[in-house]
Amino acid sequence: MESAAASEPLLRLRKVSKIYEAGAQAVVGLTDVDLDIFPGDFLAVMGPSGSGKSTLMNILGCLDVPTSGAYEIKGVPVSSLSPEALADLRNREIGFIFQVFHLLPRYTAQRNVELPLLYAGVAREERAKRALEALRAVGIEGRKDHLSNQLSGGQKQKVAIARALVNRPALLLADEPTGNLDSKSGEELLAILARLNADGATIVLVTHDLSIARSARRIVYIIDGRLVTSEEFREMRG
Amino acid sequence: MSPLEFVRVALDSLRTNRLRSALTMLGVIIGVAAVILLVALGQGTKNYVEEQFAGLGANILIVTPGKVETKGGPPIIGAAKHKLTLDDSRILEKKGYLFSGVAPVVFGAAEVRLASRSRNVTVLGVTKEFSDVRNIHVEVGNFVTDSDVEAKRRVCMLGRTVKRELFGNANALGQTVKISGARFRVMGVMERKGVSLGFDIDDIVFIPVRTAMDIFDTDALLEILLSVRNKNDIDSGKELARSLLFKNHNRHEDFTITNQAAMLSSLFTILDTLTYVLGGIAAISLLVGGIGIMNIMLVTVKERTNEIGIRKAVGARDRDILLQFLLESTTLSAAGGIGGMLLGTLGAGIIRLTVPKLPVAIPPWAIVLAFTFSVFVGIFFGVYPARKAAALHPIEALRYE
Repeated sequence: MESAAASEPLLRLRKVSKIYEAGAQAVVGLTDVDLDIFPGDFLAVMGPSGSGKSTLMNILGCLDVPTSGAYEIKGVPVSSLSPEALADLRNREIGFIFQVFHLLPRYTAQRNVELPLLYAGVAREERAKRALEALRAVGIEGRKDHLSNQLSGGQKQKVAIARALVNRPALLLADEPTGNLDSKSGEELLAILARLNADGATIVLVTHDLSIARSARRIVYIIDGRLVTSEEFREMRG
Repeated sequence: MSPLEFVRVALDSLRTNRLRSALTMLGVIIGVAAVILLVALGQGTKNYVEEQFAGLGANILIVTPGKVETKGGPPIIGAAKHKLTLDDSRILEKKGYLFSGVAPVVFGAAEVRLASRSRNVTVLGVTKEFSDVRNIHVEVGNFVTDSDVEAKRRVCMLGRTVKRELFGNANALGQTVKISGARFRVMGVMERKGVSLGFDIDDIVFIPVRTAMDIFDTDALLEILLSVRNKNDIDSGKELARSLLFKNHNRHEDFTITNQAAMLSSLFTILDTLTYVLGGIAAISLLVGGIGIMNIMLVTVKERTNEIGIRKAVGARDRDILLQFLLESTTLSAAGGIGGMLLGTLGAGIIRLTVPKLPVAIPPWAIVLAFTFSVFVGIFFGVYPARKAAALHPIEALRYE
């Protein structure tokens, strides 16, 4: 049973395409992407800027829906869901880690981490308890009462990870998480992600930096909205 | 998200922009205060008029000599009596089956003297009915009786002020005073009534009507007061009195019957209307305050686009965002409403202190209405910005810096 469950993908993308209407012109974001992500995966999505990485991440994160193709999370087809249902899915199944942190500046670290629980309708004491757990998991519970704009970049990103973790989502989605960090903080952060993955978290890491992508167990390459092999990628990149 | 959390979030974001929130609220504060203050002024004016006419029953008709012509033309000279007499009063008493009281009044001014103290007062010649009809009663002693009138007794009832000026704290009952040089026995002291229409009711001396006619050497009445037994019969009572007097005056209508209560009630209607109009004008400023709220909420939504994106990314539904901003605008307007209520009440208190003659009063409905309206303004003008916020696409919102 255990292995059968493991073989069932957590996320399944089939022929997923995304076309943006920019004025009269249609801009292709993604073309026919097939991708399976399994529980416990640590996947890096690599590609240059404008390659469609962000589009893929938005679709994986249920911030956007594909123009065509099928996307399922735990077997639930996402494309047909209402905005309300997508919000619920983001709340329960996805934890975002952004390049620019995206913390609420006038909230304390703890309140930032509590935010997903707030929209999940978790009671106050329980929220505080779980937020502290998450902060402890990334080693920053000592900063829980600091306003987020008083924290350093590395601390901010740790708080953001704690926020992503707090509702125990199926997937952690990190978009260039080290992009705004110094190399030491970046390494620390990748170590945290690796440890979370070792503890069972499924992680998708989007980056244009190979040295960062290497910390993942598996790398997929994306160019012009298509998934390509590493050989093709190297060829096209020259 | 629980309602309490929404309130917390709303208060948080209002606190971060204290000055802006305060200025936005000011619009509502001024609006609500203006509504309350103007309504209080209108109500105060009404109370003032009401006080002045206090004691005048709603079922009173007043017959006065002479005809107030609404049409032009020369006055009628000839057989007209041109005055009211006790004969008229008797007719009304005998045949006026709709009246519970008929009170003829003779008016005069005289000097009242007790030893060396004297005072010039209004002297009213009345009958026993006057007390009930006009709702003025003796506090101690007795009022004019029928036998006092028939026997033309020289008895008097002193108003509060007259009694105090002549007797001080001493007992006045049974004492003798001189009115226009004639000796009168004090039979009663009237209860305190105060000033009505600038006329000090406590500065009057009452004597029997026939005695007054003798003293002032007249048979003409100032007026005849009629109290109609049943309020609904006011109009038919007026018609009855008119026809009785018409006949008694040789078919001349040389008298006027007024229903002061009816005049008052139409005056009150005008004052009420005035109050509503004032309140309505003030409400316009509340509306302007609402536009201020909408304006600032639009700015807020724009400024916090990124925050909206973050909230949506972590699972806020459109409804959550809508409610959050709606609650923020409503909190602004409700807080402004409370501030306006305080300011309005304070202003009314200051008017009361500086102009004691004007009994300003804030009717509870004005407070409830002004507050409800201010909350409604917050919701109404908050809906558009809140909808705008809720409709933001999470990706666009996250990208917005």
